[in-house]
Amino acid sequence: MNFELSEEQKMLKKAAREFLENECPESVVRKAEDSDLGYPPELWKKAADLGWLGLIYPEKYGGIGMNILDMAILYEEMGRALFPSPHLSTVVLCGLAILEAGNEEQKASLLPRIARGELVMALALTEPEATWDGKGWLPQGVTMPATPEGNNYIINGVKLFVHDALAADYLLVATRTRKNRRAADGVTLFLVDAKSPGISYTVLRTTAGDKKQCEVVFDRVKVPAKNIVGKLHGGWPTLERVINIGAVLLSAQMVGSAEKAMEMAVEHAKTRVQFDMPIGIHNWVQEYCIMAFADVQGTRNLVYEAAWMLSEGIPCDLEVAMTKARANEACTDAHWQAHQVLAGVGFTTQDGVLPLHTKRGKVWQLYLGETDHWMEKVAQQIEKWPPPEKPKGKPLGIFNVPEDLQAPHWDVWANQIKNKGKLW
Amino acid sequence: MEFGFTKEQEKLRKELHDFYANELPEDISGVPALSKELQDFWMGLQRKAGKKGYLAPGWPKEWGGLGLGHIEVGIANEEEGYWGIAWPDGIGLHIVGPGLHLFGTEEQKKRFLPEISSGEKVWYECFTEPEAGTDEANQQTRAVKQGDKWVINGQKIYITGGYKPDWLYVEARTADTIPKHRGLTLFCVKADTPGVTVTALPCMGGYRANIFYFDNVEVGDDAIVGQINQGFYHVMATFEFERSNTAGAARAKRELQELIQFCRETKRNGKPLIKDPMVRRALAKMAIDIEVLRLAAWRTAWRFGERKRLGPLDFDLTGLFSRLNAMSHPNLKMDILGTYGQLRMGSKYAKLDGSIERGWQVTRSYHYAGTMEAIKIVLAGRVLGLPRIPAKLNTTIMKALQEKEK
Repeated sequence: MNFELSEEQKMLKKAAREFLENECPESVVRKAEDSDLGYPPELWKKAADLGWLGLIYPEKYGGIGMNILDMAILYEEMGRALFPSPHLSTVVLCGLAILEAGNEEQKASLLPRIARGELVMALALTEPEATWDGKGWLPQGVTMPATPEGNNYIINGVKLFVHDALAADYLLVATRTRKNRRAADGVTLFLVDAKSPGISYTVLRTTAGDKKQCEVVFDRVKVPAKNIVGKLHGGWPTLERVINIGAVLLSAQMVGSAEKAMEMAVEHAKTRVQFDMPIGIHNWVQEYCIMAFADVQGTRNLVYEAAWMLSEGIPCDLEVAMTKARANEACTDAHWQAHQVLAGVGFTTQDGVLPLHTKRGKVWQLYLGETDHWMEKVAQQIEKWPPPEKPKGKPLGIFNVPEDLQAPHWDVWANQIKNKGKLW
Repeated sequence: MEFGFTKEQEKLRKELHDFYANELPEDISGVPALSKELQDFWMGLQRKAGKKGYLAPGWPKEWGGLGLGHIEVGIANEEEGYWGIAWPDGIGLHIVGPGLHLFGTEEQKKRFLPEISSGEKVWYECFTEPEAGTDEANQQTRAVKQGDKWVINGQKIYITGGYKPDWLYVEARTADTIPKHRGLTLFCVKADTPGVTVTALPCMGGYRANIFYFDNVEVGDDAIVGQINQGFYHVMATFEFERSNTAGAARAKRELQELIQFCRETKRNGKPLIKDPMVRRALAKMAIDIEVLRLAAWRTAWRFGERKRLGPLDFDLTGLFSRLNAMSHPNLKMDILGTYGQLRMGSKYAKLDGSIERGWQVTRSYHYAGTMEAIKIVLAGRVLGLPRIPAKLNTTIMKALQEKEK
């Protein structure tokens, strides 16, 4: 057991905070809301120069070979600054899927370009009906068919809630290539040029008020068979793994945002004066700050544990599920607590920072598995827990419940005192 | 960062695990240890564990410990928690012992520490008073020097424990100072000293607390722990010592495993409880809460090992999480049992031996070592740096209220 960040991690954290404080003030975040791209390209380029985009890839693909725990530390800082970028889509969800399942040619051609900031990707996974049915992040949710036609596949259907679709050069598309089998056993991943004929994009009007999420319609889109990432019909295990990693990193991002909101609340409580005293002197106001603080600290430990286990290759479906389920609640809770403390200065959208956090927090809560999804995953894991171990010593027969225990205990005591007159 | 344990640590865990598995009788249940037989059994087990050094694994070998680090101590606590062990002398091991380590004289250490680590004695902590609960410095019990003796007079309340104590660890006022906490001193008082009397205070869940009365109780200078008038600081320093509480989460996880097993075996409306979405959600929530608590406790243990002293952050956060769980989990569990949730141990219809009902009652009394509000005051003031109402203002408000009443 050791909760200390390594020297490298401390440096990464410090550098990230400094960089984002300088380069990514609130105005940048606000401006990115209105752009189709969703992020300032020069900032993306600078992040690439810092090595953030190849952080997790091996050196031979232009990366630095750090691990998921290091990445989680970076994500906390990105959440804190609300760094507008397609990082999660490009580097994690698509990039790691390619790293894990792609062939050598795909890896060598795509990953270094991602690391250099020259390529943006988006994951097209969730579909309208399946998401409505609560299966959006399950293999049953992938129904959009890809049908073979010569050396090509024809993709036809609709993907919904595709993050960073407008910015993407390539889409990683999950399709159904085989039915009548186990749902997990018939999903195929395709690398699709985002500008292919037949693809159309409609921006979704969401809480965040940005243009990050789209409905993507595939109208008989032709994709060459060599663009399959991984095995034919064998795409789900890869997706499951990148969703797990993405969920943990997204949780880290939520922790960072929650912490920023908590700090804003504490600062406001200390400095805002009403009735001739700082409002933070009131226990009610303190309560909000404390609960937000507990949300942040408690969830951060979960994030680090899950990220560490992912980095070490230890099976951790339970820990991942716990992390995202808790982060979903903790982040929105902390934002709410901050709103209570900040009150009037917390909800104006033109100049307020908190609304930016709150609105994104809500989007992140619903992304990569909402609370219900992950709570059910937790339940599936703990359902398998064995019953507790029974002791093996010889029975003593003194643990039987005395008959008079059915009476309230104070009666037992009262009788004892009455009868014996002494207590021991 | 590292969330696993070393091979040696796992070996220690196995050793302790097997020891308790073999020593605890298979018909054990969570009845409060109030009968003579039960008390004899737990005292016997305490001595056995003491002989092996398991009671105080973190103490140096010369004082009967195993000289192990804080992670190892956390592992020992987890095993005690898993097997539902609450040592009769928890106070001696966790409050008095560390206090003597830090502030005791060589003589006191020699006299008391081996007795405590071998599990021979039972200590009670006599700090709380009717007027000194969360405001611990407001002690009214007085110790006055008369000749070469100190004479103690006063009353201590909510002193938990059903065993007959050998020693009392008493905090008493030795000077009238402002602020109040600069005039307190710690004494070791033999429980059968003339003038010490006791009344039982039965508590929810069948546990026992006590009121101790001190009527001209005489002790010598050698009874004083640490410095005169520094008692409050000694207590605070001791509280920050060795309180990782990894036992709580281990215990809670075991109880959850028990409930999950029950939900697998029990049907409602023709299907197992565990397949009910509401039950699943409740179980999942508890599992997550317990993991959050477990990690907070381990972080406390780790931090103590690293820094030799705890700040307020980790320890108090663990306390907050455990109290939040104590508030909500028993209710969630009772909801799963439905109307049967209220049945006590011994009732023929009681599920899970009435353990959930008992747990619910016990957790209503979970205020020892500071209420949730006390923890929040620490977190707000010392961790987040939020302003506090100045003591002077408090006095002014009190006076104004009293005037109004008149």
